[in-house]
Amino acid sequence: MDKRSLLEVSNLQTHFFTEEGTVKAVDTISFTLNRGETLGIVGESGSGKSVTSLSIMRLIPQPPGKIVGGEIKYYPKENEPIDLLALSEKEMQQYRGNDIAMIFQEPMTSLNPVFTCGNQVMEAIQLHLKLDKKAAKELTLNIFQKVKLPDPERIFNAYPHQLSGGQKQRVMIAMAMSCNPDILIADEPTTALDVTVQKAILELMADLKREIDASIVFITHDLGVIADIADKVIVMYKGKIVEQGTVKEIFLNPKHPYTKGLLGCRPPLDFRVKRLPIVSDFMDVHKQEDGSLMITEKTASVQEALDQVKVSTLSLEERQKSLYAQQPILSVKNLSTRFVSKKNFFGRPTAFIDAVNDVSFDVYPGETLGLVGESGCGKTTLGRTILRLVEAHQGEVLFEGRDVLQLNKNDLKELRKEMQIIFQDPYSSLNPRMTIGQAIIEPMQVHRILANDKERMDKVIHLLETVSLEAKHYNRYPHEFSGGQRQRICIARALALNPRFIICDESVSALDVSVQAQVLNLLLELREQFNFTYIFISHDLSVVKFMSDRMMVMNKGKIEEMGNADEIYNAPQKEYTKKLIAAIPKGKVENIQS
Amino acid sequence: MLKYIIRRLAYGVLVLIAVVVIISSIIFLAPVDPAQLTFGQRTDVEAIESKQKELGLDQPLYIQLGMYLQDISPIAVIEDTKANQLKYSYLKLIPLGSSALVAKAPYLRESFQSGRRVTEILKEAIPLTAILAFTAILIATIIGISLGVIASLKQNSFFDNIAVVVSVMGYSLPSYVTAMILALVFGFFLNAYTGLNIQGSIRELSTDFDTYGEPVFVWKNLILPAIALGIRPIAIITQLTRSAMLDVLNQDYIRTAKAKGLSYYTVVIKHALRNALNPVATAISGWFAALLAGAFFVENVFNFKGLGEVTVTALLTFDIPLVLGCVLFTACVFVVINILADVLYAMLDPRVSYS
Repeated sequence: MDKRSLLEVSNLQTHFFTEEGTVKAVDTISFTLNRGETLGIVGESGSGKSVTSLSIMRLIPQPPGKIVGGEIKYYPKENEPIDLLALSEKEMQQYRGNDIAMIFQEPMTSLNPVFTCGNQVMEAIQLHLKLDKKAAKELTLNIFQKVKLPDPERIFNAYPHQLSGGQKQRVMIAMAMSCNPDILIADEPTTALDVTVQKAILELMADLKREIDASIVFITHDLGVIADIADKVIVMYKGKIVEQGTVKEIFLNPKHPYTKGLLGCRPPLDFRVKRLPIVSDFMDVHKQEDGSLMITEKTASVQEALDQVKVSTLSLEERQKSLYAQQPILSVKNLSTRFVSKKNFFGRPTAFIDAVNDVSFDVYPGETLGLVGESGCGKTTLGRTILRLVEAHQGEVLFEGRDVLQLNKNDLKELRKEMQIIFQDPYSSLNPRMTIGQAIIEPMQVHRILANDKERMDKVIHLLETVSLEAKHYNRYPHEFSGGQRQRICIARALALNPRFIICDESVSALDVSVQAQVLNLLLELREQFNFTYIFISHDLSVVKFMSDRMMVMNKGKIEEMGNADEIYNAPQKEYTKKLIAAIPKGKVENIQS
Repeated sequence: MLKYIIRRLAYGVLVLIAVVVIISSIIFLAPVDPAQLTFGQRTDVEAIESKQKELGLDQPLYIQLGMYLQDISPIAVIEDTKANQLKYSYLKLIPLGSSALVAKAPYLRESFQSGRRVTEILKEAIPLTAILAFTAILIATIIGISLGVIASLKQNSFFDNIAVVVSVMGYSLPSYVTAMILALVFGFFLNAYTGLNIQGSIRELSTDFDTYGEPVFVWKNLILPAIALGIRPIAIITQLTRSAMLDVLNQDYIRTAKAKGLSYYTVVIKHALRNALNPVATAISGWFAALLAGAFFVENVFNFKGLGEVTVTALLTFDIPLVLGCVLFTACVFVVINILADVLYAMLDPRVSYS
């Protein structure tokens, strides 16, 4: 392996000048990327990892952002080294997409909706490789083949909305690869995707890297993903690099408490824990007088933290026994939900898709039933049908003996108090024009819970405190909160009606693993405190396994298999379940390629 | 797509019928007798009654309506007589005894006032209005989109603030006020420099000795009315383009386009503007339809003899066939332009599908 350096970042400082003052998003960081190497940058949202990558591309939105200091040296194969920060905008355009290419987080929004995928990939090829239309098209089809897109000719002429998320990300990769770049920056390329798709994309990137001899900067919030792909790892926290080393060093012998926190917060697979270790279990952060942060270590090792929360098999068995001795709180019988896929001239439906196809199961009071499957398997539709947010085609949903599907408007309103849902996207499920206090108090007003608004406000404040927010947050708007905080607000809103039954629909999928751990812990605490019954929906089997007593695997609208969560994980019966289990990023040292 | 257009056209026909029914009912209920109006004040009862009979005004409303619908329908069953042949100049499809199923051009009857066919009057007025509307919307589209794009690229700059303020002012100003100011300033005070007329249509009767009384085209008479009509759409289009562009420029795919190494110009014009055009297209098509229906006040100010002028005169003189003709044309314009706008959406944005 050629060890000559390819990219040298030294003392990079990128600041954002906002109304509240200057934010040092990237605060004097230095690192080197060598030829043929994959460098992982890990950290939570706001740690400055994306800003670092955008700084290298010189794509920092300006204003409010600005690169205020440092040097980014790029060493091209033949020519003299270049300081990217000293180039004019015009000169920089020749490097972007040509020598340094980038893949973004959101494949759904990163492709232009009004141009065909082929057109968008060809554009870069025509620009940088100076090929004519015909040659560019040929090359594009060739690359589509390489990124394993099915039927390249069709994809070439397809618009982004006609493709799945994974396919779109493959098109993005094709675009980035098209001009044989030296450096490929991948900014959370798999975060918005299902674990199974994530696995396929990671494999593809590893293959391509070998083939075109590019170096990769791989940015992610999930250390588990890094283990499979990176050679070297940088851990970032609040704009600074807190630790860097080879992937083995980081995993086997993490030094910084933050790194340990990131390693510990992924749900463990081999044993059960009461709660997940979170970053604040490993360290305390104090703001010092000069504004810098002082970090003190609390727990020495990841193993120690996990040992503290391990659950014995004996207590597990007891829990199961008492759970399943009860009458089910919810029975779903032969439930089907169908959507119209085709209509005739007069608007009459002529063809249907069965999103949920003849599904039956029971849920017992106090238990968590996990529901796992890939996008499009019908798990979300199933959840919504149970709550009658989508109308069922046939079947029964008995909640304490009453058929939810037959209820009239008034009875349904009563039932809404009992059954609540927490949605996936905490960004779009809160109305941006309502303060969070209003958002939480609104359902109580609708259902006339408590005597007056004064009492309701007290209750809202109590709820905010329950989910670890503060009373002073009452009058703030959603945009002032982080993703994890917003999800807490959504949880508080669901709790406002004192429900007994809650459906969590991918409630943690949009969150960083470290934040995900906090929210999962909160959900478990609430279950103990209020004796909730959950249906927990996710595409990530490791998360479902951690949360659930029993697990249900869904595929193409049908239940593949169902049973005790640990048993299914340890001895999956169906191919589909095995596939889901194989897709979980293990993040284990044994898996690391040397 | 074709299916969708056909369905929309079918709905359009229903809209037109509804328009005819509603307008006829309103006119019928009004306490005015058109027969009386044609004769003026000094008339005997017999003459009025015979005129009423001739115009079909003595019949109940639903019969009048039925007759009118039969007249305007392109396919109808009518008596196969010489008089009818003269009236409708139809093409016989299937003979049914003394009657026949025929295809014909819609017959909009004759003006109570001038006795000319409504179709003839509209044929004269519509091209003038169409030219005016098209020029105005063209000016508005070009200037509005350019200003909007520039303002969005220089957000919060001096130019941006000026563009926003001026466009709010432009929108707040009624177009007949703009028309009067323009006419006064450029047609009167500055007439010596501009050579523009304070009033006048683009088709006037010649005053030259050789060609006296023959119609001639005076194209410069288009300038001031087109600007007067264009100002408000300019303001709206500027604002819409600006806000849509600001929205689009923050989208992830713009960052992707920049990351490809595309030039600033390509990113803005190809990747951003194309996505920002949808709301703008809505505004443009709506304004265009409204302008085609006749700009009543502005045409009046400039004495521009287009559809607006015809409609206003027809209303003032209670010329029922002419009023109905104008309204029917306006309704047609809106139906057709709305369908065209929907087709345009689908062309601008592949995500829009009508199946």
